[in-house]
Amino acid sequence: MPIKRRQVLSGSAAGALSLAGGLASPAIAAPEPIKIGYLPALTGPSSSTGIGINRGTELAVNEINAAGGVNGRKIELIVRDTQSDPTKAVNGAAELTKRQKVNIVWGPLNSGESLAAVPLVARDGIPQLHPCWVDSLTDVKKYPMCFRDAPTNQQIGAAANRYVVDILKRKKVAVVSDTTGYGTASVEAYAPMLKEKGATVVYQANIDAANPDLKPDMLRMREAGAEAIMPWSVNAGFLARICNTRGKMEWDVPIVGQTTLGSGQTKALLEKPEYWNKVYSNNFRNVCFAKDGKLLPRAAEFVEKLRKVKIDMGDTLLWWIALGYDGVHMMADAVKAVGSSPEQITGYWNKLKDWPGVYGDITFTPQQHNGFQDDEVVMCEVNSLRDGAFNLAPGYAS
Amino acid sequence: MLESIVSYGLAIGAVYALIGITYNVMFSASRVFSFTAGMLGMLGGVLGALFIGKLGLPAIVGFVLVLACGAVIGVVTEIVAVRPVLKSIEQHLYVLSTLAFALLVQQLTAIEWGTEAQPFPRLIPIGSGWLDQQFWLPLLACAATIVGLEFLYRRTLVGRAFLAIAEDSYAARALGLPEQRLRLASFALAGVIGALAGFTGGEMLLAFFGNQSILSFYGFVPVALGGMGSNRGAVIGGLALGLFQQAANFLVGGIFAAVAVFVVFIAVLLLRPEGLAGATLSRRV
Amino acid sequence: MTDLTQAAMLATMPRSSWRARLGKLAPFLALGLAGLAFPLLGDSYWGVIVTRACVYWVLVAGLNMVVGFAGQIAIGWVGLLTLGAYTTSAMTAGTAMPAVSPYLALVASAAIGGVFGLIVGMPALRLRTFYFAMATLGFSTIVTQVALAWKSVTGGGIGVPGPVFGWPFVGDWGFYYFCLLLAGLCTWMTANLAASRFGRALVAIRDTEVAAESSGIAKPRLLMIVFLFSGALAGVAGGLFSSLQSYITPDAFTFDLSVLFFIAILIGGRGSVLGPLLGTLLLTALPEIAAPLVAWSTFLYAALLLAIVLLVPGGIADLLDFKNRRPLEQHREIVPRPELLMQLLHGKRGETLSLSGVSLRFGGVQAISNLDLDVRREEVHGLIGPNGSGKTTTLNVISGYYAPQAGEVRLGKVILPPQAPQLRASERIARTFQTPRLIGSASVVENVMIGGTIDGRGSFIESLLTLPRHRRDEAVLRERAMLALLTVGLDQLAEVRADRLQHSELRFMEIARALMLQPACLLLDEPAAGLSAEEIRRLGVLIKAISRTGTSVLLVEHHADLIFDICDRVTVLNLGRVLAAGTPDEIRSHREVVSAYLGA
Repeated sequence: MPIKRRQVLSGSAAGALSLAGGLASPAIAAPEPIKIGYLPALTGPSSSTGIGINRGTELAVNEINAAGGVNGRKIELIVRDTQSDPTKAVNGAAELTKRQKVNIVWGPLNSGESLAAVPLVARDGIPQLHPCWVDSLTDVKKYPMCFRDAPTNQQIGAAANRYVVDILKRKKVAVVSDTTGYGTASVEAYAPMLKEKGATVVYQANIDAANPDLKPDMLRMREAGAEAIMPWSVNAGFLARICNTRGKMEWDVPIVGQTTLGSGQTKALLEKPEYWNKVYSNNFRNVCFAKDGKLLPRAAEFVEKLRKVKIDMGDTLLWWIALGYDGVHMMADAVKAVGSSPEQITGYWNKLKDWPGVYGDITFTPQQHNGFQDDEVVMCEVNSLRDGAFNLAPGYAS
Repeated sequence: MLESIVSYGLAIGAVYALIGITYNVMFSASRVFSFTAGMLGMLGGVLGALFIGKLGLPAIVGFVLVLACGAVIGVVTEIVAVRPVLKSIEQHLYVLSTLAFALLVQQLTAIEWGTEAQPFPRLIPIGSGWLDQQFWLPLLACAATIVGLEFLYRRTLVGRAFLAIAEDSYAARALGLPEQRLRLASFALAGVIGALAGFTGGEMLLAFFGNQSILSFYGFVPVALGGMGSNRGAVIGGLALGLFQQAANFLVGGIFAAVAVFVVFIAVLLLRPEGLAGATLSRRV
Repeated sequence: MTDLTQAAMLATMPRSSWRARLGKLAPFLALGLAGLAFPLLGDSYWGVIVTRACVYWVLVAGLNMVVGFAGQIAIGWVGLLTLGAYTTSAMTAGTAMPAVSPYLALVASAAIGGVFGLIVGMPALRLRTFYFAMATLGFSTIVTQVALAWKSVTGGGIGVPGPVFGWPFVGDWGFYYFCLLLAGLCTWMTANLAASRFGRALVAIRDTEVAAESSGIAKPRLLMIVFLFSGALAGVAGGLFSSLQSYITPDAFTFDLSVLFFIAILIGGRGSVLGPLLGTLLLTALPEIAAPLVAWSTFLYAALLLAIVLLVPGGIADLLDFKNRRPLEQHREIVPRPELLMQLLHGKRGETLSLSGVSLRFGGVQAISNLDLDVRREEVHGLIGPNGSGKTTTLNVISGYYAPQAGEVRLGKVILPPQAPQLRASERIARTFQTPRLIGSASVVENVMIGGTIDGRGSFIESLLTLPRHRRDEAVLRERAMLALLTVGLDQLAEVRADRLQHSELRFMEIARALMLQPACLLLDEPAAGLSAEEIRRLGVLIKAISRTGTSVLLVEHHADLIFDICDRVTVLNLGRVLAAGTPDEIRSHREVVSAYLGA
């Protein structure tokens, strides 16, 4: 992973060709490139998501540029690593919107950074696409040019709750998180939603992730009669400890929660492989193996492509790569269809209907900038991880 | 429930106590509180995971290598961050130099090892529950360290020289003791103890660069509670802290446990600046 | 005599002339003008970065007083930034109470920042440096935890939007000017403070706490004011930060930010205002320029910190200090002018210092036992004895560093409170130290001015805003310090950094500092150690002349010649007891003294 922050990506293998072509014919004025300002967190404590998404983003840009660009215009990806730090995201957003005058901003990829960057990008009137989950990050009144090609926290929580209550038929639930902003906010939001669904939240807590011992908490969950544990955290260590403690207590209870439950880092920290049984994490129908063990055609084709260009899927998640890939294509399609002015892009997206992404079908309306469909958010079986994808959790009608 | 609090509290408390002793050993030799104590603990875990987990060395070889690395880093700390600022100890430049050195190593670890916690290998695959290595290994290490230090200080000539330096370095130098070499040796010893803390606590704390700040703080609390330079104070303080923290985790939950520990720390410091064990003021003029 | 006074005046004149002052002001003016003109470039990206630098500087300017001046290792100051940011945001958003104007919220942040600055600083009054560092570190963690937990006000993990400042500072550039204005204000205030007796006192606490105490500087009080001030600025910076960030979550307040503030000061140079200002600009801008190094930024900060501490402890300020790199004259001579003493010490009455039945024991060692001693006004009283006989211990009892187990010390009729060294200066008891205690990085005249700290009348606020009373204080102190330097014969070195002086010159500088107090009683601890024969002679003349102005002088010395030359009476100590006391002649012929001490 290169740590260059402002690398201007004009394509690696295939892109080099087009660059050489450009140099060979200097007489022809090259059409103005489409500038995409990109704010991933490639380093720092929550960078694993960013690294995954980045693979898809780079792939899509290379692919489009190798094919001659968008209406003859090359995509210029202007990268600023936010290092998982909101202050750096603010500086980065300022550079992209104020100095580079980019056409579109892609990212930030983490909510903490987006919360700071979205209002700033909106102030400068530049269209923005991001995949962050925090609900308040789209608001057609405050940020009329900001779109989300991912589910909201609400959708994520609802999907998990649906799985626990409707499919697993568990009515007594423990909802826990670490003490980060994301974790505390999730518990705060999901517990009432569970109650609305008729379940009882028998245990609710924010646990210090640095605390190596989760046994007291887990014992109390068990005493409270919990029939399912729903952990919300992106901290692999914390999630692995929950799995390990459950295993050592020999407590047969499902763990249903955040995507990171199924990450390679979590897996590495398990004391026994079987502690990963009956653990279900968030995922998306389009990138899960169906009952027959196969991916949907779109995703299968995408995986083929990844294999061909030798993009590693083993240490990341398929949906992260797909998300990055889809994001760039959504932006390219908008420019291709209508042009690159802010109004044109916003106008196009506002009418986007069932845009076929690898990761999900996206629909926007002028009143609704959350493009993801509720029923595409599902749970998956984490111990089925292969090539960054998972089996759909048992119980879903496919 | 109680069993869990006690077993984990004592285990984590033993790690804190060992870090506290690391602070003390460095302090006795140089009058310097060094931020590198937590760093040594962090490295103990990371290096252990690297040697045994990643490189696949036999556990005992890995263990010895980790301790050796601790000693080397201790020596480097002394040469780079302590010796040059000792002459102006009144200005407390050592706080800055050791902080800088510790940050340097931590950042390097973050970049080279990664910012995610990684597993620490299970060394002795026997026992479960109470008998799990992660509970008794830190306690064993702590007991061995305290017994070893007692033996060193009371029974050996070198150990007595250490004590003489700790008591009054001017007088010790006047007696012809090789103060500089003894200080170097103390830092090497501190390095070994710090790395031992991280290694034995590795399974509990995982191999994680962020452990540095946690251990720096929670390892210092026993020193503040027990009185600086007192190893017995550090052990009692460390175990008490471990139990208190676990109990607080259990009773008031994650967010407020940290607050509770901090409040106790500040309260003790304000009421008894010399620690609960107490010590006298040194001569100033 | 009047000629010489005029000479003293003249010596001070060119230094305080407006040209010299302009030289000092020039970098600040240049930065200020550059800041004002910056928007003309129209680069609003760099506008954000410079705004950020201004916001950070508001915090760093205050922290500089704590870290750079007072030498307190406050590494967790980001906690106060967090507090200020949440206060301003929550009040503007109206999560805790009805929403108010962001400007009002900013004022409230300053108040809350000040209060918490004081609370966080409190441990520094009692604790050793490292303990305090840990306490601030702990505090910064706690604030974040509380912000997470107190969801109704702070929004918990989701956070709260930052305020948008309205008229007159509208828009990006409006906000820029607002921050620039506040940064300028902070620069002005802290520069005023640095050049005041408070600034000097802080540095004295940092470098030589013992000398600071003996000059009557009350560390706790002064530090409390400074923590209040620094906390208030951090609170304001927090409010501005939240507006700049547009939205705040606990994740924004990383320890790296704290490290940045802290290192900016040390790179800039302790005891300087310009240096840390440049340091802040540098550290804020550097990550924007050095793009490929972004992942290594904290690593590089740490490396920079280590290099600074080990190689250039004075930081940028030291590198910019061209004046003190000019070589000094090689063969310097100290020529005191005792005839100026009357003018320097005019109007002060000497008092008799008396010890009665003083005993002090350290553990098993009886350091002083049942000591009676009278040092009369207009007399030089010699205190001699072999090493370990209790001479310096006696001085330390008198100046309040040790509390005797029995007996009392009086000056005139006043009983001196034991173990209160900072209360001796107000009784006009001044002293020098066996090893000179000085502020190496300050000029000689500033070192001497420390001695007169308690005679300043203006308050902290008056110094901050450089009000007339402060200016009068400064003029009086500086004039008196120049006169003192002229008296001891160091006037030519007044503007030189004290650590460039020779050992013998430092001895005379300490005497000048002691004379600043216009002492009723002067305690000298081996002032002749390390001096040449001629210098000792001149010192003798000076000491004797001091006593003749009415001051009672207690002289601890090993040089028997000096003692017998100038003392009116001599006390000989042995093993903490008085072996003999009397006139020099009586002592010289005292059998036991000769065998025990002089003969040896």
